[in-house]
Amino acid sequence: MESNFDALIIGAGISGMQTANDLADQGLKVLVVEKEPSIGGAMILLSKVFPTLDCASCITTPKMSAVKNHDNITIMTLSHIKSFKREGMLFKVVIHKEPRYVDEVACTGCGKCEYACPVLRSDPFDFNLGVTKAIHLPFKNAIPLAAVLDMDYCIQCGACTRVCPVPDCINYLDEPEDIQITVRTAIQCTGFDLTPMNAKAEYHAEDLENVISPMQMERLLAPHGPYGGILRPSDGNLADSIAFIQCAGSRDETLGIPYCSRVCCMYAIKQAMLLSGILPLADITIYYMDIRTFGKGHDQFYQNAKAMGINFIKAKVAQINAAENGNIKLRIEEIGQNGGLREVEHDLCVLSLGMVPKNTGNNPLHLAIGEDGFVASINPKTSPTLTSESGVFVAGTASGPKDIVDSIIEGSAAAMQASAYLQNLNISEVVQ
Amino acid sequence: MTKVESSYTPNILLLSTIDCAYPGADWAGQMHMDHYVQAFNLRVPSPAMFPEEFYFYCFEQGFDGILIMSCGAECPYPGAYDRLAKRVDHLYKMMKERNLETDRLRLTAICTVCAQAYVKEIEDMAGNLKTLPPIKKALGDIPQGVN
Amino acid sequence: MTKEKKRVGVYICHCGGNISDVVDVEAVRAYIEKLDGVAVARKNMFMCSSDGQKMIEQDLKDGLIDSVVVASCTPKLHQGTFRGALSRAGQNIYLLEQSNIREQVSWTHTHDHAAATNKAKQLVAAAAAKAEMLEPLEPIKVKTVPCGIVIGGGIAGLRAVRDLSKWGMNVVLVEKSPFLGGRTAQLDHVFPTKEKARDLLDKLIKEVIADPKVTIYLNSQVIDGGGSLGDFFVKIEQTFRGCTEKYDLKELEDAIKDLPKDIKNEFDYGLSYRKSIWMPYEGCWPSIPAVDWENFQPEDADKVNGSGFEFQPNKEIIEVRGGSIILATGFDPYQPAQGEYGYGTIPEVITLPQLVRLMADDGPSNGRLEINEHPVRSVAFIHCVGSRQVEGINNPQPDGKVNNYCSRACCTATLQAANELKERYPDLHVFDLYQDIRTYGHGHEEYYQQASKNQILFLRYDPLNPATVRPSNGRETAVSITVKDLLTQGEEMELGVDLVVLSVGMMPRNIEQIIDIFKLPQGADRFLQEVHPKLRPVELAVEGIMLAGTCQGPMDITEATAAASAAAAKSMNILSQEYVYLNPYIARVDEDLCTGTGLCIEECSEVNAIRLENGKAVINKTICNGCGMCVAVCPNDAINIQGWTIPQYKNMVSKMLIPAQELA
Repeated sequence: MESNFDALIIGAGISGMQTANDLADQGLKVLVVEKEPSIGGAMILLSKVFPTLDCASCITTPKMSAVKNHDNITIMTLSHIKSFKREGMLFKVVIHKEPRYVDEVACTGCGKCEYACPVLRSDPFDFNLGVTKAIHLPFKNAIPLAAVLDMDYCIQCGACTRVCPVPDCINYLDEPEDIQITVRTAIQCTGFDLTPMNAKAEYHAEDLENVISPMQMERLLAPHGPYGGILRPSDGNLADSIAFIQCAGSRDETLGIPYCSRVCCMYAIKQAMLLSGILPLADITIYYMDIRTFGKGHDQFYQNAKAMGINFIKAKVAQINAAENGNIKLRIEEIGQNGGLREVEHDLCVLSLGMVPKNTGNNPLHLAIGEDGFVASINPKTSPTLTSESGVFVAGTASGPKDIVDSIIEGSAAAMQASAYLQNLNISEVVQ
Repeated sequence: MTKVESSYTPNILLLSTIDCAYPGADWAGQMHMDHYVQAFNLRVPSPAMFPEEFYFYCFEQGFDGILIMSCGAECPYPGAYDRLAKRVDHLYKMMKERNLETDRLRLTAICTVCAQAYVKEIEDMAGNLKTLPPIKKALGDIPQGVN
Repeated sequence: MTKEKKRVGVYICHCGGNISDVVDVEAVRAYIEKLDGVAVARKNMFMCSSDGQKMIEQDLKDGLIDSVVVASCTPKLHQGTFRGALSRAGQNIYLLEQSNIREQVSWTHTHDHAAATNKAKQLVAAAAAKAEMLEPLEPIKVKTVPCGIVIGGGIAGLRAVRDLSKWGMNVVLVEKSPFLGGRTAQLDHVFPTKEKARDLLDKLIKEVIADPKVTIYLNSQVIDGGGSLGDFFVKIEQTFRGCTEKYDLKELEDAIKDLPKDIKNEFDYGLSYRKSIWMPYEGCWPSIPAVDWENFQPEDADKVNGSGFEFQPNKEIIEVRGGSIILATGFDPYQPAQGEYGYGTIPEVITLPQLVRLMADDGPSNGRLEINEHPVRSVAFIHCVGSRQVEGINNPQPDGKVNNYCSRACCTATLQAANELKERYPDLHVFDLYQDIRTYGHGHEEYYQQASKNQILFLRYDPLNPATVRPSNGRETAVSITVKDLLTQGEEMELGVDLVVLSVGMMPRNIEQIIDIFKLPQGADRFLQEVHPKLRPVELAVEGIMLAGTCQGPMDITEATAAASAAAAKSMNILSQEYVYLNPYIARVDEDLCTGTGLCIEECSEVNAIRLENGKAVINKTICNGCGMCVAVCPNDAINIQGWTIPQYKNMVSKMLIPAQELA
């Protein structure tokens, strides 16, 4: 592998991929470093995307293959930044690459090893709703389309090596390595985490099987989801009364998350619409504080959802408790004409979790962090992708909650700032 | 009227878009979803390119049914899906004039991960076609009583 | 003319058993080898291995074959690999066809080996049928004009100009008004950073005007344009600004002191009056006054003292060329209809942009909150005026449609103004009538929390039953509002206030002419419509034309500048390359067959890639997207998509259904 690159992209989600493609299109040499075994980020996990209801995979995969097929882009998966130091006009970077135990180039992605492997483990791609084997393809349209072995589960029985058609492709003795490279600019696109399910103790989400996260609902709704339908995790029954609880992890000072996460209203409405298509008889209710459908075409989407018969109730949900048969009891305080405290029952409930910063405490690029924990922009109004480090830029949800469109736009914006920075670096190099 | 299933294996032509349905078919493969075998994919940028005459050409070549697997709302070409839908309506009219059963042609949308929908469309069409005579017979190429 | 058929080499992959465990690869090979047009048929354990690729290269180099079929996995996995093999052998990479016998055969017909083998034979035969008709193709090559054209000199346009020029690219900026800065100049300070809007602008403008790469045309209208990706032209009509020298403010005031101050000042949204020679604010750029020709009376010329003025609205036509165009034409605040919430009929009803001007230090009342010459003790804000409208409740625009979209920035802007009022005048009573508070952005929610702390009273109204505003004749306050509050028991409340502020939404600026010239698509909301919100969010369907800021939809400044930088990035992808290479899969006309029916042109109305020249259809290669809609309507079969022609498809179809006895 080459060791000198113009630009380093950290994180290959939708904004990182956009940045990489734009920089590479301008003729710059780009290295993309991704922590997971495949590029694609959060978007590839989604079912459909608002407000167009396009299939998420159909929009993400072209960008993934563009990254893969671009002559100017190198991808490193299962890798993260170990150290990052400025040296003159350059940055010296050490990348730590975890072992895949499979030869990424030689693997044909045929999946024979996965069939042969005797060990099941829960599948993080399906947010633990389903299972995979210890050796598995990350998912069916992963890039690189190469198997990965989870050594935590592997019993080294040799079943996979016996069926693998490629000689010496699987290597139990694969080891981590540190790779040194030099780059001239870096763009942090490390994305977000969801508010933890157990953030609000009064919601008892850890004890209630039928209280699920929005990403789990995405997987249930996806055409390639774990159950092939909308079933309750507790008993596999069809759900017929489904609740969405908005701001379950945003706009809540008690959680230290005072800000709005921007996407939860829209994803809840989208999921509600998709559900009502799949389960036409189900009652679907969204409990909200304010409906914030502010983006292009979003308010129209909200109006459509109301017209479809989805219930919107302005209420605070004070508590979630178990009811009979795995059902869920919500204690709500409704605001308005029928206001006041009351209890309602549902059989499946989605906590509309917010976005929180990822990997707090791990900041190898030494960027200034805002009060909210996200990477701070030093010029938020006129150059939102500038960070406290000259030559380092930020894009997408690494700098705060954002929807896909805004993340993609920021990805391109960061590419512009980075390439303009590099041009000026060239000039100053010549001057020196 | 009861339809009788015949025992022949109908041939189905699949016009699958490069951006949506063809990757959807690949996904069915990756999921190892066994399905009706005599269905053949043609990779196409947009099925809107085919004139009416092309469909009849395919019938004459022996395809008993044609499934147009488009991108639907995700169509990347402005105006193409609407025109395709109109052409299919026109084709139905032409097929009726020629006494061809309209079940032999269907327009559907398949996404890149719609493996189940992809397989179901093929199985449904195969099932429907089995209730119809083979296309050669329907087109009158083969006189009654031979073969 | 019959084209010579290619000699085809067919290469079948075992995929280490993935294919060969189900499909009898040798049977397929032996069958294919006998077909007409097939020169060689070979098999390999892994066609994608270097060993497999070398087989192809060798046969090409040995002159045994012209075109290649690889029967293996789905083309999306290894198309690049096999094209590489062709390329290394010196062959055109488009002479490759792939047959998918893994995903679509061996993996889907696992349990019937005989049927799977037959299907593989049929698919490979079809691929060979296409391969014998393939033609070498070349990407469309366009020489790029290394210059970006930016239309609109507001914050988004300036951001885009600065990004391009900082990169080192030439930029032409075209601005309709005589001054830079757009709507941002009319703001006082911005949320949530509390920076002065003009400081942000000044910094950007200084960088822009200092850069020799930038050419600015002020007072300029776009009157014509054309060309395509990589090489556009834009014709602009520049009107002379009337003043040639740089004045300081004092001198200017002296020179024009006798001019009547009788023109409603649009900079203050009509709350103040100005002269017919004017500047919007101190420190604007350029700080040279401009003559407002529309309102300049012949007798005004006599009243002006001093030199440096020229009183003929001379116009100059200038043509500029560039490889890309960025549109940053911005928005207008929604103009409430006469009488809408009392606007235009009750002087104490104003809009939020007007309030912002009133509160600005250099505003019409020097920052004092005064309306109709009496002080204000209570104020009510009404959200979503001209946004989130409901058909049948709100009056439609002239095009018959209501504004059913959210304008995104007004909630935070409203609370920013409300808080500031409350902080300046602690005794003021402030009411806020809203549907949903949408303080979604970074640092926006704080304004909502602060508003509660400031004891701003929120009332939630039903959009189907909006508030009514009327003069409260003879009462203590000027205006009376009736509203049903959904936060309490829905009872009807009556509020008496001295001032009503309508939080008006955004509408796109009228750019009909530019839309006509470049045939730009608009959405139902009348804003310019991007190709796809996620695939290509800042690009228009016309390749090479980008969108920046609020011409695309409501945005705040952060979002507008991010979009502007994104548009600049997309421009740089074009401008940084000496040539732009476009996909060769586009329409081609066979001139011998074309009779000039024009049907294809009609069919191409969305894309406009076809025109008639000397009675023949001509394709604009840089605009055509290869959708093929024209192919279907040509009665002479004169158009085809290169690489995906109807004759190729027909050949495939005719070879696919091989009689069973031949298969066996």
